[in-house]
Amino acid sequence: MSKSGSEVWWKIENLGKRRWAFMVFLGMLILHGSAILVFTRGFLLTRTELSQYSHCSDIQQSPCFSPLDDQLVNHSKGCWTKPAVDRIVIIVLDALRYDFVAPSTFFEEKKPWMDRLQVLHKLASQPGSFAKIFKAIADPPTTSLQRLKGLTTGGLPTFIDVGNSFGAPAIIEDNLIYQMAKNGKRVVMMGDDTWVQLFPHHFNISHPFPSFNVKDLDTVDNGCIEHLFPYLYKEDWDVLIAHFLGVDHAGHIFGVDSTEMIEKLDQYNGILEKVVDVLESLSGPGGLHENTLLLVMGDHGQTINGDHGGGAPEEVETSLFAMSLQKHPSFSLPSETDSSSCRLDMEKRKICTSSIEQLDFATTVSALLGIPYPFGSIGRVNPELYALAAGTWDLDNFTPESGINFSRFERWMQNYVNVLCMNTWQVKRYIDVYSASSVIGFSDKDMSHVSDLYAQAHDIWLHTKEDVTSLPQLKKQVEAYSNFLSSIAALARSKWTEFNVKMMGTGLCILVFSLFVHIFTIKKLDKLCSSCYLPRGGNFVISFEAIFAYAAVLIRAFSFLSNSFILEEGKVASFLLATAGMLQLRHAIVKKTMLLEGLLFVLVVPFLRVGIELGQSKQAVNSLFLKSFPSWTVGIERSSNLWIYVADILPFLALIILAYILYKSIRHSSCQGLFKFVVVGTIFASSLIALAWALDGNLFSPSMVIVDIKAYWIPRIIYVFGLLQLLLLAISLLCGKEKTSGWEEDTIVKATAMLSAWSSTIIILSGKQGPLVALAAVIQGWCIIRLMTLEQDGNESSTSYSSPVAKSSLLAVCLFFCTGHWCAFDGLRYAAAFVGFDEFNLVRQAALLTIDTFGFSHILPVMGLPLIVACRQHPEIVQAEKRKRLFFFQLCQVYLMYGLIMATSMTLTIICVTIQRRHLMVWGLFAPKFVFDAVGLLLTDFFICFASLYYFA
Amino acid sequence: MDKKKNDPIGGNAILLSVSPLKALILHLICGLGLGLAFWVANHIYSLDLITNSSSHFGIFLVFLAPVLILLYSHLRHDRNQCSYVKAVGRGLLALPAGAVVNALGATILGAPVGFEYFPKTLSWSLLMSLLTFVPAACVFGSSWTDWHRVFARTKANESTDCMICLPAHGAVIGAWFGAWPMPLDWESPWQEWPICVTYGAVAGFFVGLVASLGCIIFRNRQQHLKEE
Repeated sequence: MSKSGSEVWWKIENLGKRRWAFMVFLGMLILHGSAILVFTRGFLLTRTELSQYSHCSDIQQSPCFSPLDDQLVNHSKGCWTKPAVDRIVIIVLDALRYDFVAPSTFFEEKKPWMDRLQVLHKLASQPGSFAKIFKAIADPPTTSLQRLKGLTTGGLPTFIDVGNSFGAPAIIEDNLIYQMAKNGKRVVMMGDDTWVQLFPHHFNISHPFPSFNVKDLDTVDNGCIEHLFPYLYKEDWDVLIAHFLGVDHAGHIFGVDSTEMIEKLDQYNGILEKVVDVLESLSGPGGLHENTLLLVMGDHGQTINGDHGGGAPEEVETSLFAMSLQKHPSFSLPSETDSSSCRLDMEKRKICTSSIEQLDFATTVSALLGIPYPFGSIGRVNPELYALAAGTWDLDNFTPESGINFSRFERWMQNYVNVLCMNTWQVKRYIDVYSASSVIGFSDKDMSHVSDLYAQAHDIWLHTKEDVTSLPQLKKQVEAYSNFLSSIAALARSKWTEFNVKMMGTGLCILVFSLFVHIFTIKKLDKLCSSCYLPRGGNFVISFEAIFAYAAVLIRAFSFLSNSFILEEGKVASFLLATAGMLQLRHAIVKKTMLLEGLLFVLVVPFLRVGIELGQSKQAVNSLFLKSFPSWTVGIERSSNLWIYVADILPFLALIILAYILYKSIRHSSCQGLFKFVVVGTIFASSLIALAWALDGNLFSPSMVIVDIKAYWIPRIIYVFGLLQLLLLAISLLCGKEKTSGWEEDTIVKATAMLSAWSSTIIILSGKQGPLVALAAVIQGWCIIRLMTLEQDGNESSTSYSSPVAKSSLLAVCLFFCTGHWCAFDGLRYAAAFVGFDEFNLVRQAALLTIDTFGFSHILPVMGLPLIVACRQHPEIVQAEKRKRLFFFQLCQVYLMYGLIMATSMTLTIICVTIQRRHLMVWGLFAPKFVFDAVGLLLTDFFICFASLYYFA
Repeated sequence: MDKKKNDPIGGNAILLSVSPLKALILHLICGLGLGLAFWVANHIYSLDLITNSSSHFGIFLVFLAPVLILLYSHLRHDRNQCSYVKAVGRGLLALPAGAVVNALGATILGAPVGFEYFPKTLSWSLLMSLLTFVPAACVFGSSWTDWHRVFARTKANESTDCMICLPAHGAVIGAWFGAWPMPLDWESPWQEWPICVTYGAVAGFFVGLVASLGCIIFRNRQQHLKEE
């Protein structure tokens, strides 16, 4: 770039300096935003949760025969379909692989864990028994929570179900358990406490047991066993759910091929044997279990290593064993509706197995119980499972024409066609409502195809309704309905469970392109800068610190390719930060200056790490993947009174020191006018915070007024203060006059005012740890700025800034983890959203939560970055105009570099989730990480735009 | 890193140049000492670094410390003021002092802190001190200028500088890289706190030894060329 070129640039810039810088950063925001948007459309599949529920009376709108029309069935409790079973016992064995249940002859090789559940083989092989083994195909994500949601709603839960729930995982969609409770079925639950989280109010009786401790193989199972058998003799329930976790935990800890797993399976075999004995003993005519259905099922499978979450065959193939206790002459479905395959097992017994989609579970069970199908269910009533229940065969009074001599099968078909008719009608209704109300609905083409299929099926139904006796007509009808339902399921799967790799690739390309734009702009600004001062000779040396800064950024970015490093991200960042600090200390020793700052920087890092490890120990409680680290809790659990005392006093001390630093800064700098007010406001706000915390202690009797003051008024006053301070700063910008000298000084004052305006809100949101973290951040920031002089070799290019900027970004990452956050949705501190407010307001609470989550790690660092440029001693340039120009070019560069660092780690995160999209932890770990990074990057870009308006004025 | 103040006695009194043959022997003894310590701990006491790291480190120290201290005291700089015994003595003194610095550095970088980790951290830092600080203390004593020259500026004027600077840096850098596999979820026993870091340090020390040997031979050859 020639000198005249830079002059032109400068002139353009002078016309609208602010606009120019703002446009550059806005461009970055748009580029990053579009990359993330496109990628997200391909990767994070979203589904909108509808809050509509199915009701008994709805069925009259359907074209099908409704049992309510028919006075003959009024005696039954039926609602949509005629109930076929009275009671259901559902035994969920978590992570039950298909080969745990199916005979080993179905597989190529017999493995030690096969053929362990002999009781199921025996029951399935008994001639004339109504028991069957199904291969149940789950849909990814195969994590327990999502699967339970899928099983009960009959839908395809995605990673992000857009709904109204804020933090709590409770299902707000229509679901099987809700319909059971609504229609007078008494539900008893025991075992995994996930059920209680999902359905907090639906169970009559529940016996939940904690599920998070993976190493504990027996607590949940023993609890289940203890409660299960007494209930089998009671009659105060209609549906019993027992969720055993032992197999899942044994898989996670020891793997499938382990003695622990085999012991667990043998134990389950014993339990199931006893359950079946009890049920059969009470299944005589008039007995408690005369018309009971026993379901033994897995929610998902697992790999040989015991992992699950992804879509590998081993993970999605689980099993379902169903047995009807009502004895009746056996009928089998003709082959066209029967998908079973039969083989002899090891003991030469003939066992048939079929296949069922987990999607169909909710609808089929609803049909069997005679309750409305869940509104959002898109499954189909599975004919084989439905036919197992004797009640579905024994429908003499089903239609008026039943006097005519039918075969039993024809009668069953009539009933099944009607059940399918309701099923189809309900799915069509859901799809119509969904595409009308969802943000991202289905495409018109898909919708018209689906409507055509429905219209065809409906046409046939009009004929079938006239002539329910003709078997070919019934078969044709079933085929038409099945056709419609399977195309709906395929459409939903493509929409909700399949990644769009093309979109993901496009997003990645845009992001990589943005990286090049960043680098190009930084280089261009370098050239412009060099025209502002006299370059000292040609020897262009990149300092060792700068090289390490690049290396640190790359090491951190590449560490995201491994799930373990993502889990330990905070520690990795503090490790790199400490290494950078040590290198700097070494540099300080070489130069024999700034030893104190170097030492201080290094010594503060361990304190940040204490915070990071404390956060991790909190996370370990929630996470299956992370081991807990008891090392730190040792010190804290030995909390004598002294410890509590110190922990109480420290935040106040830190607040006082922070206020003192602010006071000093306005005393010493030529801080004038409005800026002074802003800083004084923060000092006042911090005294208010101290007051609120003091009231929190036991010093005063908790009268209502004081509780009100500390819980509501002080936080609200502080929020208002923060807004007022920002407003004042905006006013000062508008009134400010153009200056040509003292830019550095001015920027320091501006940055101090801006930081102090944000800090009081951030501190009160993050609680008592706030001032401590803020103090650590201030010390670290000060050290970074002071230590910058070490690297000043008269080199004014961007490389001299790379080390401090990289260190600030590492520091920002440390601060994120230090404040007790981590990259998962349970890592959000929901309590922070309700500081000062009790009632929920989406916008307000979301804003508070965002400030709490990203305040220390994104807002403050971005706002504080200009200090790096402003505090630096620039080479003596006499011309004020040139000096100013250089200053702003460098400020721009620093922001671009910060954005580049964030975008680099985002790029690697995206590459990682693209590679690992079939990884078992994709929904547990990689996807949350992606969401946090994406939000962080966009927020950073946004605040850089904001800062450019403020500082470039 | 070290708090010792400037010490004017510091000895450029006699510039000791080490001949390649002597250097080779010294390096060989160093390497053999390391290997011997490892072998003795593993085979004679049948200790496993993974299961009982502390006692393994103890044996390591007992065997390696005399070798290194005696060897490097031989190269002491200020021969006029300092007897051989005194050099050995200051080497022994530097062992705990260096251990404190190493333990501090490890803690800052993220070594776990806690009562059950204390013996491990202690024994590891003693070993690190032996690999980094003790040779320098034996040779330079408390001469701050020499320490500064060798460790901070990394300008090796003499062959002893090479012999001290390169293995020490190798050990530190090796330990830094050795910490990398620690967070991985392989659940191997060697990923526990001091073990893989120790492997890294020892490997780095070896590489440093080889490099310093190469450096000395290279310098010597250059000197010969100049003389010719």
